[in-house]
Parts: sequence; C-alpha cells; structure tokens
Amino acid sequence: MAGERRRRILAALSSGGGPEVGTRRLCEVCAEITHTSGAGIMLMSGDVSRGSICTTDEVSALIEQLQYDLGEGPCIDAFRTDVAVLEPDLANPTVARWLAFTDPAVAAGARAVFGFPLRVGGVRLGAMNLYDRHPGPLTDDQHADALIMAEVAAQSVLTLQAGALPGTLATELTTGADFRYVVHQAAGMVAVQLGVSVGEALVRLRAHAFGNGRSLTDVATAVVARRLRFPHDDTETGTTR
Amino acid sequence: MTAVPPSTIGGDPGAATRPGRLARAELIGEPMPREAKLAKALVELADTLVADFDVVEMLSRLTDHCVEVLDVDAAGIMLADPDGSLRALASSSETMRLLELFEIQSQEGPCLDCYRTGQTVINRDLTTSDDRWPRFAAEARAAGFGSVHALPMRLRGAVIGALNLFHIAPGRMTQADVDAGQALADIATIAILQHRAAHEAQLLNEQLDNALNTRVVIEQAKGMIAEHEGLDLEASFLRLRNHARSHNLRLADVAAAITDGATSPASLDPLPTKK
Repeated sequence: MAGERRRRILAALSSGGGPEVGTRRLCEVCAEITHTSGAGIMLMSGDVSRGSICTTDEVSALIEQLQYDLGEGPCIDAFRTDVAVLEPDLANPTVARWLAFTDPAVAAGARAVFGFPLRVGGVRLGAMNLYDRHPGPLTDDQHADALIMAEVAAQSVLTLQAGALPGTLATELTTGADFRYVVHQAAGMVAVQLGVSVGEALVRLRAHAFGNGRSLTDVATAVVARRLRFPHDDTETGTTR
Repeated sequence: MTAVPPSTIGGDPGAATRPGRLARAELIGEPMPREAKLAKALVELADTLVADFDVVEMLSRLTDHCVEVLDVDAAGIMLADPDGSLRALASSSETMRLLELFEIQSQEGPCLDCYRTGQTVINRDLTTSDDRWPRFAAEARAAGFGSVHALPMRLRGAVIGALNLFHIAPGRMTQADVDAGQALADIATIAILQHRAAHEAQLLNEQLDNALNTRVVIEQAKGMIAEHEGLDLEASFLRLRNHARSHNLRLADVAAAITDGATSPASLDPLPTKK
C-alpha cells in the first residue's frame, strides 16, 4: 500500500520535468497528491525557520511567511513535535493556538492547515505545509499520502543538496526559494544602529513588524533601503532600552 | 600486514587452543531448536533502529550467531572499503590466528573470491593441497581448520562483503546450513546499508544546515558593514570578500568575526580604488 502511494508520487514528480525535478514541481505534487488547495516546504534549522524552498500559490506563501515572521504555526509545531499537526477548521478551532498566525491566515483563505515534519530516518530538516480553502479534516487516504509525500520531499531535498559544494546550498534548492536574506541584512544594519547583537536586532525587527501590522520582509526591506532606522531611543518598536 | 611468515603463524600448533568456539563461554540451559535460534538471531540483527546501534557490535553478534546456529567453529565478516579492498570487521574469536586468516584474504582467499563474484564458496576442503589460495590454505591448515566457506553479503546487485565460516573437520555445510547462513548474512547486509543511508542523510542534513547558517551570517555581516561604513550591500560584500581573500581567511569566518563583535567592520581592508 505504501509502495503504491510512493509509486504514484514518484510518477507525478517525473511527469513534470523529467529526472531533474525542481522544487517548484515538488510543491505542486505535494498539493496534487494530497488533493489540497496548496502546499509549501519550509526548511528549519535548530528551532527556527530558515525560509521556504517552494510554495504553490500566494496563500501558501503567506502561510509560510507568517510562520517565519511569528515563529508559530502548523509547520513550526510539526517540526518541533515531530508529528503531523492538523487543524481542519482554522476559523473555528477546537483548541485556540497560534494566536497571531490564525487571523491573517484565515483572512487569506486558508480554512484548514496541516503541517507534516520532513524527516529521513532520525534526521529532521523542516516541514511540509498543506492548506485547504474549505474546512474539513484530511481523509485517511489523504493523510497516508501526505505522510509518504513528506518522506519523499525530505529525501528529495537531501538528494538535491548532495550535489552542492561544501558550505553552499545546491542551486536547485535556491531557485524559487525564499530564505529572506533581506531580514538578516537588515538585522546586521539594525545591530549597528542600536549597538546590540544581531540576535537582539532581529527581535527588534520582529517587534516592529508585529506592532505595525507589517510583514518582517517589508520592514527589513525598508531598513535596507534606508527608509527606516532604529535609533537608540526608538519608541516606535514598542521596546525601550 | 601482507608478509607474515607462515612459520610465525603455524609455528607452535600444540600450544594453540582450538580456534573460535572454545574461546567463548558455553551457553547454559535447555538447547533451543535450530529454527528458534535462527529466528531469535534474525530478530536481534534486524533491530537496527535502536539509538545506540553500532555496526561492529551487530556484526560481532552475527558471527556469534553463526557459530551457534550453523554449528561452525569460527566465523568472521569482511566488508569492502570504499576503494574495494576487504577489511575484517568482526569475528567470533579474537585469536591472532583467526585475525591473520582474515588479513591474508585482502590478497587471496574465499572471501575475496566470494566478494568479487558474488557467489558462495562452500565446503572447500583445506586438507588437500589447494593451489587456488596457497598461502591462505597453508595458514588455515596450520590454524587447525579443515574446511572453509564464504557467503556473499549482498543486496540486489551490490556485494558489500562476505561472511566467512570455518570448520575444523572438512566439509559439513548442508544446504540448510547454507540457507540459514545466507539469511543471517542478508539481514546483516540490510542493517549495514540502512545504517549507511541514515548516516549519509545525517551528513547531508548537517551540510544543508551549515550552508543555510553560513549564508545567514554573511548576510548579517554585510548589513553591519553597510551600516557601519556607509556602503551599499554589494560594496559591503566585496569588502568582506576582498578582506577574506587577501588574508587567506574563509569568508564565513570573517563574517562570523564581524557578527560576534571580534572584528570591527572598520578594520576590514578598504576596497582597492578603481581607476
């Protein structure tokens, strides 16, 4: 049964571009195989998101961006707990979780969200994110396909990375990926502006974004374009030193 | 260790104990039927998902199981290096004699033949002179063995090594013995290949993680240089890279020194002025 599911996934992957399967096709197959509205694949490092290597549409891109910005959501939980995290009715959840993530995700059209850990054996590298425009649980069949899909996706990511030079990311993984480098550039600039560590600068950037209802990437882009500065006594961030 | 004189190995047969079996403690209790022993061995060998799985430990147990289940007098495992030469990984006894018999087989012997052809070598009588492996046969005889066998450790097309079995009396392996031995070898092979795949995944994930983190630190350093030195990000990167190259340092190390405050952006070499 698992073999049959895997065979269908591999067939779907190879139907869209031959053996050199790009990450874009990988994400499309994640959504197709599981019959959901969209999918994304997020890489995690330690306990934080490093960004997404692919998303199928704007909603799944937003779902990944929110999780990156806020540090909460189904993928983050799936990675941390190493089990599938299922929210079949995001607008009316039985248990309130993801207080900052939920409203904007629902507003964007995600009525059900599912996170599956990406792992190969004992190695965990991120999470696969699925969403649906309609509320409702995954069927047993969808759930079984999603588990195998996550396994294939994890193996694919490692296989793609196997071709890279040490210390670099494989080109196939960076094409179409969003690792939000601008956020780290901005963190470096804000660290100098405030005379704090880059870690603290990142916290200040996040606080500013959340406090002003903007995405972290927007705020970071403004910093890098020198349209926004963080002076020492900045009160706009909501944190005083 | 290619030139151990046979006189050293076979020089004092009287003093040598029987190799293999007798060196180990005898099992106590009711004798188990062979099928039960084999089943127990297979389950134990298949248990590779435990956290403290160790390949050499597992192979050592396999050689012990062989002695017990197949009623052989000594057993050993040879696995191929990445360059294809065979190395002894485990044996049922650590007597020098037995270890030397494995060592010779990187040059000649049943394991090497079995590894190269993927075919079993069964009931090779060592008491008659053997011109296929003259050195190996002479030393095996001197060690007290009458017959030798080798079973391939293979999965689908790949042969990764061989299971070597010794009897004191010539002959003795029945087809049932060979089948049971091959089952043990197959399970061990799967465990080794699974372990290798898991290890490879671990390494690749570490590389991926390292690449992601390196890139983050470089971007952070670029931001710090840009702000500190009033440069744009492109010029900041060139300054970082230029400094790393001219001091023969890794880009990632210079970037990390900037972000953790060990190096001030101002102390980076200025960019060479263009004409």
